[in-house]
Amino acid sequence: MCGTTAGCDGCPIASDFYLAETLGSLEVGAKATVRRLASAKGGDLRKLLALGVLPGVELEVERRWPAMVVRMGYATVALDQGLAAGVVVSR
Amino acid sequence: MPATTEQAPAGSWLLVGAPNVGKSALFGRLTGHYATVSNYPGTSVEVTTGERRTTGAAIRVTDSPGIYSLLAVTEEERVARRAALGDGATLVQVVDASHLDRALPLTLQLLSLGKPLVLACNYLDEARARGVVPDVGALAERLGIPVVGTVATTGEGVDALAEAAASARSPADGWGTPQPFAAVLDGFAEGGAERLEAELALCGDPELEPLLAARSSERWRAAVRLRDAQWPTAEAFAVALATARRRMALALLDGVVPDAPQVRRRHQALDRLFLSPWTGIPIVLLVLYLGFYKFVGQFGAQTLVDWIERVVFDRWLTPYATAGTRAVVPWAPVADLLVGPYGLFSLGVRYAVAIVLPIVASFFLVFALLEDSGYLPRLALLLDRGLKRIGLSGRAVIPLVLGFGCNTMATLVTRTLESRRERVIVTLLLALAIPCSAQLGVVLGILSVYPSAVAVWAGVLLGVFVVVGWLAAKLLPGEPPSFFLELPPLRRPLLRNVLLKTGTRVRWYFAEIFPLFLLASVILWVGDLTGALRWATALLVPVVRSIGLPDGAAPAFLYGFFRRDFGAAGLFDLARAGVLGPAALTTAAVTITLFVPCVAQFLVMRKERGLRTAVGVLVTATVVAFAVGGAVGWVLRNVGGWA
Repeated sequence: MCGTTAGCDGCPIASDFYLAETLGSLEVGAKATVRRLASAKGGDLRKLLALGVLPGVELEVERRWPAMVVRMGYATVALDQGLAAGVVVSR
Repeated sequence: MPATTEQAPAGSWLLVGAPNVGKSALFGRLTGHYATVSNYPGTSVEVTTGERRTTGAAIRVTDSPGIYSLLAVTEEERVARRAALGDGATLVQVVDASHLDRALPLTLQLLSLGKPLVLACNYLDEARARGVVPDVGALAERLGIPVVGTVATTGEGVDALAEAAASARSPADGWGTPQPFAAVLDGFAEGGAERLEAELALCGDPELEPLLAARSSERWRAAVRLRDAQWPTAEAFAVALATARRRMALALLDGVVPDAPQVRRRHQALDRLFLSPWTGIPIVLLVLYLGFYKFVGQFGAQTLVDWIERVVFDRWLTPYATAGTRAVVPWAPVADLLVGPYGLFSLGVRYAVAIVLPIVASFFLVFALLEDSGYLPRLALLLDRGLKRIGLSGRAVIPLVLGFGCNTMATLVTRTLESRRERVIVTLLLALAIPCSAQLGVVLGILSVYPSAVAVWAGVLLGVFVVVGWLAAKLLPGEPPSFFLELPPLRRPLLRNVLLKTGTRVRWYFAEIFPLFLLASVILWVGDLTGALRWATALLVPVVRSIGLPDGAAPAFLYGFFRRDFGAAGLFDLARAGVLGPAALTTAAVTITLFVPCVAQFLVMRKERGLRTAVGVLVTATVVAFAVGGAVGWVLRNVGGWA
């Protein structure tokens, strides 16, 4: 463990202990950067990759209900809480 | 790096790209044909091929389903991937000019194939409005391939794109897999589909990984060993590789795309109204009421049907056709084949053109408007939570809504769903509880005299939909689906596109059903001539009686075997004749709607889901139809005011 709390881009060590915040926990209007994809299932991961949710991507939460609506640049994507919970972010 | 510069086989182009980038509209511009284009992910399910005829030889142009990345999620994305990796066509990647950063990773993957590639930056008009027009010249120089700005809806830049595609050569520069990932793939030669397939398999692709693992070549095992030595899982490898490609893409775009301030999405306020359940649900109901009940149900199924049937057929066509045929063909049974009660003209053509055509055409018109405006993805998001209860995700909205137009077409579109479980549930619900537009129009037409009958009918169908969906989700094994979807901007539908699309769908529908209508006429004619029809009707009478209907309803059920709408149209005649009262009509409408799918739908179910599932759906639909129909009939007969 390097002990960092920032979690450098693509860091394989940084754990959820340091980066507890996920996309699913962000409130409406919050801006954050994706740090890591923590989805357990390969299928979920491929969906996030298809949407372009990747480490380093900056996003803004527009809506949480009935599903998450997230803006990334000029694109807007919708995803459910299950998928959003697997995206570790930092502000 | 094989820096090939040989001339590509200029004979064929393949359009690839993400959903909602205007691929199909561009296809229409290039070929003059029209594929169904829409503002929704997943409406071109199969590849569509057309021809471009210019001064030289004809060029084959193929459109493929939308794909974000070659790491495919759904069956239709696999169709697109197979097309892209397959033949030697020149690839034309269509991208949204405002979203280059999202599209370029796919460009880099495609470049590694070493095939001729052209980039079409579409929706240049929207990029202009946002002030983010890319420098296509600089991008072309960096990538070493032609890059052309286009506006498919107006035709701008289309000729330049065609010119670029016709003269495109294999990219001179090698765009292989970035390091350190390339080292893992050392055993596979660069610049070919094989290496890219190996890369996708190493990323854990559910189709390709088992394929390569089964072959178990030495180089594959070596690649797996190298991957496992550096990355904990296939998923970690996939994310790391995708991240590396994204960085490459951003570096390439540096200076190509202006740094414009982040502007809000267009129609932001309207979008909020669509997406918030408080306003969104009333809007859905309003759309259903105006679009489907008022326009399809009343204008299409009543006003138009009445006019075509009573004026065009009864006054203009039928008298002459009947008199003419009887005069020319003296032998009555043969004349009956054309103009008798089950004649090709009087039954087949009349039902198809006078009853079904206006209803189906008006439905597809409304659907095309909803599609092109970008409303459907909003609907998917709104209904996601509700659909999760019945084992589906918001994505299932598309086939379900399309089912109200044509269940057969909708069954094909279930390919856009991710898991087999979702596909089976939607197939079952389509066959059972979703009436197609022809049925819907006819049933609404019959029942509209009794508003409470419409309410009972709709309530029963909704109940069956929810209960059967809930049970299917409980009984079918598999994981609950997750919901993910890109929301395209809300766009004003172009009348030209909407009309062309409606026309394309109506043509497809007619090619599919017209022969069946004629075949049904012939079978009924033969049955009538040989007495088999009376025998079959007599056989159905006890079944019809068991749900409380008069004997006269039996033929309508018999017609229902050929087409669901055919059966409903049979009921239409009965209602006109005043044989059925409100209770009987409601019972008949419920049963016919739930009843077995039409022949075409059954054939598509067998093709898409296999014989076992298709037969299972058929049996379930029959049992549920008569059980529910019987129950509704019993309740209505025992409730005051319904006799």
